[in-house]
Amino acid sequence: MTVRDVGRRDVPVLDVRSMSKVYGAGDTAVHALREVDLLVRRGEYVAVIGQSGSGKSTLLNILGCLDAPSAGNYYLEGLDVADLDERQLSVLRNRQIGFVFQSFNLIPRTTAFANVELPLVYAGVSRRVRRERTLAALDVVGLAGRANHRPNELSGGQQQRVAVARALVTAPALLLADEPTGNLDSASTEDVLDLLDGLHAAGRTIVLITHDDEVAARADRVVTVTDGRLTETSGLRR
Amino acid sequence: MSFVEIVRFAVRALLANRLRSLLTMLGIVIGIAAVILLTALGNGAAQYIQSQISGLGANSITVLARAPGGTAGAAAGASSRPLTSGDAAALADPQGAPDVGYVAPVVQASLTVAAGANSETDTVIGSTPEYFPGSNTVVASGRAYDDADVSAGRPVAVIGRTVADDLFGAGSVPLGQTVLVKGVPLQVIGVLQAKGQGGGFANPDSNVLAPITTVQSSFTGFGNLTQIVVGARSSATQDAAESEIYSILDRRHGITDPNDRDYQLISSAQLAQVLDQTLSTFSLLLAGIAAISLLVGGIGITNIMLVSVTERTREIGIRKALGAPPSAILGQFLVESTILSVLAGLIGVGLGVAGTFIPLPNGFRAIVVPAAVVVAVVVSIVIGVFFGGYPARRAARLRPIEALRRE
Ligand SMILES: Nc1ncnc2c1ncn2[C@@H]1O[C@H](COP(=O)(O)OP(=O)(O)O)[C@@H](O)[C@H]1O
Ligand SMILES: [Mg+2]
Repeated sequence: MTVRDVGRRDVPVLDVRSMSKVYGAGDTAVHALREVDLLVRRGEYVAVIGQSGSGKSTLLNILGCLDAPSAGNYYLEGLDVADLDERQLSVLRNRQIGFVFQSFNLIPRTTAFANVELPLVYAGVSRRVRRERTLAALDVVGLAGRANHRPNELSGGQQQRVAVARALVTAPALLLADEPTGNLDSASTEDVLDLLDGLHAAGRTIVLITHDDEVAARADRVVTVTDGRLTETSGLRR
Repeated sequence: MSFVEIVRFAVRALLANRLRSLLTMLGIVIGIAAVILLTALGNGAAQYIQSQISGLGANSITVLARAPGGTAGAAAGASSRPLTSGDAAALADPQGAPDVGYVAPVVQASLTVAAGANSETDTVIGSTPEYFPGSNTVVASGRAYDDADVSAGRPVAVIGRTVADDLFGAGSVPLGQTVLVKGVPLQVIGVLQAKGQGGGFANPDSNVLAPITTVQSSFTGFGNLTQIVVGARSSATQDAAESEIYSILDRRHGITDPNDRDYQLISSAQLAQVLDQTLSTFSLLLAGIAAISLLVGGIGITNIMLVSVTERTREIGIRKALGAPPSAILGQFLVESTILSVLAGLIGVGLGVAGTFIPLPNGFRAIVVPAAVVVAVVVSIVIGVFFGGYPARRAARLRPIEALRRE
């Protein structure tokens, strides 16, 4: 941790150093990530591509503090995540990270409003402010009129937009999305990608997994994961 | 996150999963209600039988005629002799039966009893004044008939509480009034204390008691006795009195084989013992059924809770990914299962206790056993809270991604 505290602005949002992840042990061990390095600066829009099973989700889950690496270091906003206990990690997930899953992961039988409001409740935000920010987030994704709908009353694209609203609502520094359009038709894909473009334009840091080149084309940077190793592929930028 | 928010989440989750909530509660409700009802039935039966026993006079021995080798009270067969006044007199002889305190010969008949426009069929029992202590019968108002009434064959009667209620109006004390027994006027000189259904084997409140001479001369004739009630001098001499009765009656009835008597003795002590045994078997049976109900209820709860673990584990994964602190998740699940269990416990107790008010035939009532209520409630709630919190405790140890991956 050398000069990373000199100016807060210069601290990379993500700083991953020779990080490895091994699932299982012995004969059945799977080396999902092998000594990966990755640096993402504030405001960057990074697309992660690679074949299925190459280790993309593994990487993103660790970046989102949903999983822990087997070796190496991960600094989030200059903070070594390994030093944090479960309660501090929960605060980190709540304030710093917004995570969008391929399978939406909305809480079933619970309204869009309640789903989006959830992170704010865990953040201890007052009821009145919660309401404002939840409605604002739903408005951003164009679903203000669907606040009281339950997940099973929404299309896949709408569900994913609710999930994006939920990831945004705490205004996290980092938005992580694991194939957010993987389960969507082309029209819904456009909606969600436009949404991410808008967030990027507003200065949000985004890391997104995709195996769609068209999706990757919207990003500033593209990194490719091959069998657990990372290679930088720049220049795809439009 | 405040406690209020946790409770709000818990309630919202319960309402969002109504069917699951209801099924979980059903297990607890049924378990508790079954235990309360079954133990109340056992308890009620115990108290019923207790009162039956106390309906018999203390230290009293009842002699009944029976066919040899047959059952008590059966019509005397060809080879059997009925009980007679001679038998009663022999038992009253202090020489032959020094441990016998008193002897009350009994005749009885089912007859129409009328007063004014009211009439009903009651058991009319003719005996001597010793019958009152011998059958634990107490006069509430007026007086019992005495030896003078018996020797003069006076037309007097002491009537049961129900008889007075039915013929003269509820709560009435018709002393000095007249009842017509099969057309024969008897003057009411006393009313018995109500015993309720529990006294003896027929309802003593519906009896009409009169001097034996009166009943014999007017209704049954001077033939056989229905039974003879014999009182031992004290409970210590009850066994001695019994063997004296056996030796006197065996001689008079020409019995050589004690297994083939044409009469039978029933003592209150003996009856109490038999009933007590029956009762404890019965209670054990009910307790067993109650325990099984509780077990089945418990398994039901556990089942529902475990089936929902996968779904709940995913939900916990989502909540963790959104930044729920461990305390919020454990808190929500504990509050959820506590609300369910306590609510179901209250409903179960309510249903169980309400069930004990359902009227039962033969006048016996289910009487709630408080200890059983406590055990049932505690066991069910512990199961409910334990297994309700189980997914949370399990998932609390998982990383969010592991919880999310559960299928
Ligand atoms: N929980 C797990 N246990 C064991 N192996 C896993 C687990 N999750 C992923 N893997 C393995 O790790 C490798 C990388 O998986 P993943 O990161 O999901 O790939 P991608 O998202 O690029 O398709 C794969 O070989 C996969 O089988
Ligand atoms: Mg993947």
